[in-house]
Amino acid sequence: MQNSTMAGRSGPAAADAVALLGDYELGLAYDEMVDRDGGPRPHYGPLHGRLRTTSPDDFRRRKAMTDLSMQQDGVGFTVYRAEEGIERVWPMDPVPRIIPAAEWRRVESGLIQRINALNLFLWDVYHEQHILRDGVVPARLVLQGSSFRREFVGVNVPRRIYIHICGSDLIRAADGEYLVLEDNARTPSGVSYMLQNRQVLKRVFPALFNAYDVLPNDDYPAALLDVLQYIAPESAAQPTAVLLSPGMYNSAYFEHSFLAQRMGIELVEGRDLLVDGNRVFMRTTRGRQRVDVIYRRIDDDFLDPLTFRPDSALGVPGLVNAYRSGTVALANSIGTGIADDKGVYPFVPDMIRYYLKQEPLLNNVETFRPEIPAQRSHVLANLEHLVVKRVNESGGYGMLVGPASTKEQREEFRRAIQANPRDFIAQPTIQLSTHPTFVDGRLEGRHVDLRPFILCGERVTVTPGGLTRVALPKGSLVVNSSQGGGSKDTWVLAEERA
Amino acid sequence: MLSRVADALFWMSRYLERADHLSRAVDVTFHLDLDLHGVLANPVELEWNALLSLLRQPPPPMAAGEQPVVAVQRWLLLDTANPGSVMACVNRSRNNARSIRGSISPSMWRELNKLHWRLADPQLQGRVAESPHDFCQEAQLGVLLFHGVCEATLTHDEGWHFIQLGRYLERADKILRVLDSKFNLLERGDGVDLPIRALQWGAVLKNCAAYEAYQRLYISRVEPERVVEFLLVNPDFPHSVRFCLSRIMHSLTEISGRLPERCSDDVVRTVGRLLNDLVYLDGHALDGERLHAFLGDALVRTARIGHHLHEQYALQ
Repeated sequence: MQNSTMAGRSGPAAADAVALLGDYELGLAYDEMVDRDGGPRPHYGPLHGRLRTTSPDDFRRRKAMTDLSMQQDGVGFTVYRAEEGIERVWPMDPVPRIIPAAEWRRVESGLIQRINALNLFLWDVYHEQHILRDGVVPARLVLQGSSFRREFVGVNVPRRIYIHICGSDLIRAADGEYLVLEDNARTPSGVSYMLQNRQVLKRVFPALFNAYDVLPNDDYPAALLDVLQYIAPESAAQPTAVLLSPGMYNSAYFEHSFLAQRMGIELVEGRDLLVDGNRVFMRTTRGRQRVDVIYRRIDDDFLDPLTFRPDSALGVPGLVNAYRSGTVALANSIGTGIADDKGVYPFVPDMIRYYLKQEPLLNNVETFRPEIPAQRSHVLANLEHLVVKRVNESGGYGMLVGPASTKEQREEFRRAIQANPRDFIAQPTIQLSTHPTFVDGRLEGRHVDLRPFILCGERVTVTPGGLTRVALPKGSLVVNSSQGGGSKDTWVLAEERA
Repeated sequence: MLSRVADALFWMSRYLERADHLSRAVDVTFHLDLDLHGVLANPVELEWNALLSLLRQPPPPMAAGEQPVVAVQRWLLLDTANPGSVMACVNRSRNNARSIRGSISPSMWRELNKLHWRLADPQLQGRVAESPHDFCQEAQLGVLLFHGVCEATLTHDEGWHFIQLGRYLERADKILRVLDSKFNLLERGDGVDLPIRALQWGAVLKNCAAYEAYQRLYISRVEPERVVEFLLVNPDFPHSVRFCLSRIMHSLTEISGRLPERCSDDVVRTVGRLLNDLVYLDGHALDGERLHAFLGDALVRTARIGHHLHEQYALQ
């Protein structure tokens, strides 16, 4: 692993090193790079050595390179509630996060186990509903959940797969254990940033990259295309897949166009598609062309104004019926929202035991359900210590972070919880692990999470690594891009060669 | 290809050509203004007003204490309140490209995006008040880079041809407009000294990036009749109307996949007739009034090509 560029430079760099990495503060959280004694964990050794010999000016120059790359490639996202306009470049921190091979193996197995259980759960609740009748998951919780699609009970989805693309959010507790914070089983985003970050990091730190054996992640688009073709109707000899996007003003539009391009498929909007005789076509310069598979990046509610929201201008009238009759496949399927519903989340470990007869390899974060009276009183008495989430919101919206909240905010949530306890869950405030991050000319610990990407087709694959999101404001625990988060390249190391 | 994608490719390219032309026109006018202000009574208003009327733009709003010429330059180059300004055109082009990022090559998008950020640079924009030259150069260079990258990295299939259509249709339109407006202007300027006429007709050529190419072909003083002939009917020069129309015809037949004589749709017919009129044009028969009538008619027919294109390919 040693590389000549890793050798320390003598002279002024040594003094600068104090400025870049010196006085690195450890908080209460698990730090990814530095252990309790202040030394680097073994897999961070070479990176730590490199950072110690890099001057702040050199680092600043490389940080500027990452920013420029991002700006020139137009790696932007849209912020709905910011005043500085709709276009912002996704900030990438150039210090990579590193995961050793053995650690990744456990995470990977846990994720595969989890998506298998979730897909079995979805098939079950949209068919015989064994798990509800056996009382493992409360029936009312599922059947009255706003994301349960009654219209889809009894519909046979291609290959019995509901969730083809999943992006689960993992965090690490103070002892370093990986915990699942939530499963994103609707239209998870972020994978393009994962791929883009790798490209940029290789440009900015080539020698450092070379010093590690990092597993490549570049196969994701090809693997996704395999999944899309696997679920195509059998009548289609050479299936045509498209990516359905809400359009360029959507916050994830960069990702939509990026993936469509990497897969070589058309990026379509609702107005490009039409349904005729229960079959889906796109409008081209040479008339209509048949569409067999749709990777849709539009929520259920907006997919088809005839079935769901009638005011949706993003969707395609008649699409749901075409899907139901099997002439077109959708990824993800309709109705997956009940699997990542925050109200159903506490029961995922039970699903794993119920369907797979296995113990969960990845644990949930401890979760309180205010709809149970005993837990409600605990939640209401401890609002300033808990994180409270609305079950129907995502993206860091509709959340109360107790320790960082004001009295008014807590009162507001108290009233809301008392009025509709089913709409909330509460979790202890976990100090997400920290990672050295470049802030104001030096490296400081910032909280991170990890969103790996799981694909489910003929087999389940987990792309090595995923997107590490970092909360850039000091002490902040909210990593969402819409709330001032940035991201990091994530390296999974290859097995040690004998 | 999706009709929406074809439409966005067409307009991405058309707005970019418009930005290219306008930045060249401002640069040329700026330098002509410097050349003429010592010898003509009121060249400033004459030239800048001629440019505004060519663009069918009203006199721009003026900030307090702003020089009229500076106001015109800022309005034409930078002001996004003016939908025809260079900045606005580049923005529209970039927005069209963004809406179809997956259908152009990544390096095309990157060049266009870089062009946008370079032109939006406050330092570059700040220098426009003194001289618009750097800004105009940057814009033109960016457009050339974009088309170079496009040429080399995008498959020359249907989408590429829609890019060509937008580019050459806009270019043909602008050349016709330059000729028409300048011809009127100079007819009235009879009796002006020879060197000044040469400067003014030289500016017409420079407006169409044609000055050196003209010199090379004719090896003579700049003569109005020859300028008109060169910019209208030269078959090989990329900024002649005839050249533009033959590229349009070529792209149309590639898109439809049929030979020109087999194409009977409105758009091919309109292009073919105008192209034939240019190929068999008797230059000597076109003096002032008849030339003006010909150019006016050609402009109407060019606009009709755009309409037919949108009907034919269900563009939006």
